[in-house]
Amino acid sequence: MDLFLQYLANGIVVGSSYVLVAVGLTLIFGILGIVNFAHGEFYMLGGFAGIGLATVLGLPLIVSLLGVVAFAALLGFLAEQILNRQVKDKDPTNSIVSSFGLAVVLQNAALLVIGPQPMLLRTDLSMVPVEIGPVYLPLQRALIPVAMIVLVGALHLLLRYTWVGMSLRAMAQQPTVARMCGIRVSRVAIVTFMTGAVFAGVAGFLMSSVFMVHPLIGNMIVLKAFTVVILGGMGSVTGAAAAGLMLGIVESMTSAYLGNGLRDIVGFLMVVIVLLAWPQGIFGRKLERS
Amino acid sequence: MKHLALFAAAIALLALAPVVLGGHGLSVMTLTLTNLVLAVGLNLVAGYCGQFSFAQAAFFGIGAYTTAIMSRDLGTGVWINLPAGIIIAGLFGLVLGVPALRVKGHFLAIVTIAFQTVVYLTLVQWTDFTGGQNGILVPGVGETSILGIIRFNVQSLDSYYWLTLALAAVAIVVAWRLVHSRLGREWIAVRDDETLAQAVGVNTTTTKLSAFVASAAFAGAAGALNAYTMRTAAPDDFTIFISSIILAIMILGGKGTFLGPIVGAFILTIIPESLGEFSRYKMLFFGVLLILTITFLPGGIMQLVRNARTRRA
Repeated sequence: MDLFLQYLANGIVVGSSYVLVAVGLTLIFGILGIVNFAHGEFYMLGGFAGIGLATVLGLPLIVSLLGVVAFAALLGFLAEQILNRQVKDKDPTNSIVSSFGLAVVLQNAALLVIGPQPMLLRTDLSMVPVEIGPVYLPLQRALIPVAMIVLVGALHLLLRYTWVGMSLRAMAQQPTVARMCGIRVSRVAIVTFMTGAVFAGVAGFLMSSVFMVHPLIGNMIVLKAFTVVILGGMGSVTGAAAAGLMLGIVESMTSAYLGNGLRDIVGFLMVVIVLLAWPQGIFGRKLERS
Repeated sequence: MKHLALFAAAIALLALAPVVLGGHGLSVMTLTLTNLVLAVGLNLVAGYCGQFSFAQAAFFGIGAYTTAIMSRDLGTGVWINLPAGIIIAGLFGLVLGVPALRVKGHFLAIVTIAFQTVVYLTLVQWTDFTGGQNGILVPGVGETSILGIIRFNVQSLDSYYWLTLALAAVAIVVAWRLVHSRLGREWIAVRDDETLAQAVGVNTTTTKLSAFVASAAFAGAAGALNAYTMRTAAPDDFTIFISSIILAIMILGGKGTFLGPIVGAFILTIIPESLGEFSRYKMLFFGVLLILTITFLPGGIMQLVRNARTRRA
């Protein structure tokens, strides 16, 4: 039982990072209708930026975090220029191909510039233990779910109560009417991409203390995030949050009880089953999935 | 008739390549023809039937491992392994096709990527069966014959090249026949307007499944033969990057055109392989090219050709 709780806690930590990546992905899809295959690269570059700032330059963690946020926001801005600005009014499958191309470019640029050796973020926080009953986590890991809750909560408030949030939601519901009501569509697109990139970049930074960061890490992360988005229903932030935690926990349990080799496969099997049984996602509304 | 003559002339010309090319040039040409078969196959499902797939390298791998595993465990030769690779890859095409029927566009792309990843992870992790990260060594084709009549010895680089050329020629003819058959027209109908196709009596389910199976079978054939050429089957030759190269070939050439993937295969294999010391920028080059092509020239090179023709007319 104690071990079970420990696996559960590990699952929640990893799941929290999935939530952060998937929320951005689902926002970009829900609002702009773009499937961003380069989203995992925001995570990867966020991780490397964080390690660079905290370890190489030796900046305090909170300053590094702010640095990662700024860097990810810049990445999001640039990605919007390439993926949305240019390809917008053409065939929707084009954005799949061009974001896939962007992912390949960023991965290989990282391989050339940073090199293939994996890196890990080491901080003093990893020495501070947190014990909740039988569960033991280093403080550094325990902070990940906390950060996730703070960020997703802030996003929820932003979407619900601010002018920016309302225009984002308006775009998601009815882009034409939103435009007619005077919403600056191009600005909304930039805000969406920047938000998504910041969430993914922060997730990459936070997780760089748990898993090694290497240039190809984004591949797996973006697939996990897509799994989460499909399970949670495309465009649904709450769905992504619930499904992300679920995927993290299921993976942790699978690797504990069934074998580590199955860890990365189990999510894809869930996707296939969910697509066959509930094509709109477990938490999604009924929508034409095209 | 004119097409047939041109095609025969092109094959005859390519068959002479070993006379002029050295070892490296010939390996590049063999790779070009392998990529050609893969891209022509991908074009059937993605270009003609409009069902995006990022899983071509997975079927390529399934073909290669069929050869490798059957040679290892059953000791069978090329004339059993090649059809087996085609059939098994085709069956896996069906496995991917069934869930893929439920989804379109973005979701389809994700499902095919998930399939690609599952195949890759299985190849890496099922060590007892697939040899894990090291893969499996494959014996050469060696002395063999067609129906016991025409005997030949496949050992040199030249003979592997000719064998690949033969496969590419057959693949092009089969693809031509498929595209110009009733089935091919049904693929195009489904791509252009699925609802309309259904309304006029096209069985869209079997149409889409057949496109997935055909596309996978082409990749299976390329894989089964390539395992012999490379003398090994290892998982890192069948990653999503290979899928993206095949995709780039099809898109740069022109998706949904017959010549597009063929032209693309020559350009996108020969140029990167002749980069020499810059070859570490190869994948970067593919990525940039993919973005630029889809942004500024979504119809690929064949679109340029068509534009030039209409302007002249």
